[in-house]
Amino acid sequence: MTTQFLDHQWKSFWRSKNTGKSIAIRVVLWLLILYFVAIFLVLSFAMDKILGKVFPGQDVIASFNGFILYYFLLDLVMRFQLQELPTLSVQPYLILPIRKKQIVNYLSLSSLSTTFNYSPFILSLPFLLKVVLPQKGGLAFTGILLSLLGLTLFNHFFSLYIKRKVNLNGWVMLLFLGAIGLVSYLDFKWHVISIAAASSWLFNSIITAPALALAVLAFAVGCFYVNYLFLKSNLYLDELRASSSAVKSSTEIPFLDRFGAVGDLVANEVKLILRNKRPKSTLTMSFIFLLYGLIFYTKPQTSTIYWAPIFCGTFITGIFIINYGQFMFSWQSSHFDGILVSKVRIRDFFAAKFLMFTIASTVAYILSTPYTYFGWHILYAHTAMYLWNMGVSSFIVLWFATYNYKKINLSKGASFNWEGVGASQFLLSIPLFVTPLLIFLPFNLLHQQTLGLVVLGLIGMVFLLTRKTWIDLLTKRFNKQRYKIAEGFRNE
Amino acid sequence: MIEVQNLTKSYSGVRVVNIPALVINKGETIGLIGNNGAGKTTLFRMILDLIRSDGGEVLSKGANVVQNENWRDYTAAYLDEGFLIDYLTPEEYFYFVGSLHQLTRAHVDEKLSTLTEFFNGEILNKRKYIRDLSKGNQCKVGVAACLLQSPELLMLDEPFANIDPSTQIRLKSILKDAAASGNMTTIVSSHDLSHVTEVCQRILLMEKGKIIKDIHTDANTLKELEEYFSVMQ
Repeated sequence: MTTQFLDHQWKSFWRSKNTGKSIAIRVVLWLLILYFVAIFLVLSFAMDKILGKVFPGQDVIASFNGFILYYFLLDLVMRFQLQELPTLSVQPYLILPIRKKQIVNYLSLSSLSTTFNYSPFILSLPFLLKVVLPQKGGLAFTGILLSLLGLTLFNHFFSLYIKRKVNLNGWVMLLFLGAIGLVSYLDFKWHVISIAAASSWLFNSIITAPALALAVLAFAVGCFYVNYLFLKSNLYLDELRASSSAVKSSTEIPFLDRFGAVGDLVANEVKLILRNKRPKSTLTMSFIFLLYGLIFYTKPQTSTIYWAPIFCGTFITGIFIINYGQFMFSWQSSHFDGILVSKVRIRDFFAAKFLMFTIASTVAYILSTPYTYFGWHILYAHTAMYLWNMGVSSFIVLWFATYNYKKINLSKGASFNWEGVGASQFLLSIPLFVTPLLIFLPFNLLHQQTLGLVVLGLIGMVFLLTRKTWIDLLTKRFNKQRYKIAEGFRNE
Repeated sequence: MIEVQNLTKSYSGVRVVNIPALVINKGETIGLIGNNGAGKTTLFRMILDLIRSDGGEVLSKGANVVQNENWRDYTAAYLDEGFLIDYLTPEEYFYFVGSLHQLTRAHVDEKLSTLTEFFNGEILNKRKYIRDLSKGNQCKVGVAACLLQSPELLMLDEPFANIDPSTQIRLKSILKDAAASGNMTTIVSSHDLSHVTEVCQRILLMEKGKIIKDIHTDANTLKELEEYFSVMQ
């Protein structure tokens, strides 16, 4: 039976519309994976050197041991954020003569193939082979390896269990995050407990008595069993669904009323964003990316250079345009035919997109003003890029949107979701980020940076003031492409 | 065959199913009718242990379907496209379902050959995944997969809804043949009163979660039902 299930899993992966249709994506994906594996391997091979440098005078194995539990704590938080629950794929099996036990085992086993389960080993195996094996012997090596396996599996099943609990009851999430936060505070801030000490103690003991690793494994088995029992008693259609069906409130946005028909369209799109998982997480991510400037601006050497604020300014004030706009009109793919046959005029359709982008970048611009703390030139650059984004970037994004024929499922999470990603998303990033820098380049060479910013801002203004023309252009383009777009959205 | 006792289910405070007692005997062909929201599909799902009931129980051959899973061996059901493994081709799906009943490929092929007319040349050897078939053809795949299992209990939720008239007629004759053999208990829900009265010996009419009529089909049944539904207008 399990082989049958695995066969189906395999087929579902390769036959999925998102996998493999476009070779470009596959290549990029594999390059990314190889890149990360390479980084991890290099890190691992050099781990003894790194640990020696960071904790001079300390035995590297001891420092390594002290780290392990931190890693798994971080791993747990990451899994909680990113790991997808394998859920609805079991629906077809529920009415076939297959025992629930087999289905649950399949659910548990099929969830195992996630990167989170490989990374601890890619990260530690070279180090273990290079340092621990020759120094402490084969038994200790096996002990450490088994206990790492135990902790990985424990985290795996524990995070799945918690996520399933959260689906039934949202308070569990607060409880879980609170517990994690409390543990971190107790360790880093108040120094009441020390995870490092616990980690050292545990793994030093395992090196001296490798049989202890079995206890760690037993923990993992226990967690698997708890998960198993929970799943088995909750294998019901209405409870498997990822979202809870609480009473939905209706949101009205009075501010948008003044824009008439266009405002209504924006209000609909705002609802689309707030009520669906994937666009909602895109929005959340946009807020997180507001902090992006901290990476650049806090470095003293970049504080007087203009490249960083221009790049960051494009990114920060335009994050929503870029992040949400790159999948335009796929968000509406499920009801695109409805839009085409409705009374919505295409001009209004585009005007609504522009209005939404304008509101979003205004909010982002206002929220980014505290960056002025790092220098006035940042505010100038952000202002220029804010105008640029409203005028030029919105247009570029919408123009590229007419080349996008890929459907998107709104109810899936955004992280690691490659659905709807096509060549147009990769091509899009080039004009968006490169053009402003190219325009700025000659001014920078002539040391006329302020003038450069003014020119960028002015171009944005000109585009803003002539928006009608651009909407006409887009409408024409759209009317030519509409059949192709609608056709693409109809294909699941 | 099926015994329902005090079965209830509510969604956000509204009783969608409330059945104090219902007995379905072996070999009966039952038609389940009622307007949208009457609770037909919810009842189906509780009989198949797909959703948890709030109270009461469903016994299949005397065993509670929640605790004992033996009903899976002799029950076949098709509720909607969501229950098809849509990334398989129809053949792959049939072989998979067959394998669950220890049927070899040759056996499955043999059974499928009796359904050639029903398929009307649109299912087999088309090199398409199930998800690329039309809704009507997906329904054919689902119904065929059920018949393949030679079930003692067959449950179909609105099988007539998406299929073409010829297929409707073929499906009706398949169901009637099955009923005549007396080995198969069938529960079919439908909105088409004439189909139901033609195929089914006994008709259950649901309204707001309750079974308000339980009638044996005779010459007057169709008229009686039409009257009920026209009053509802």
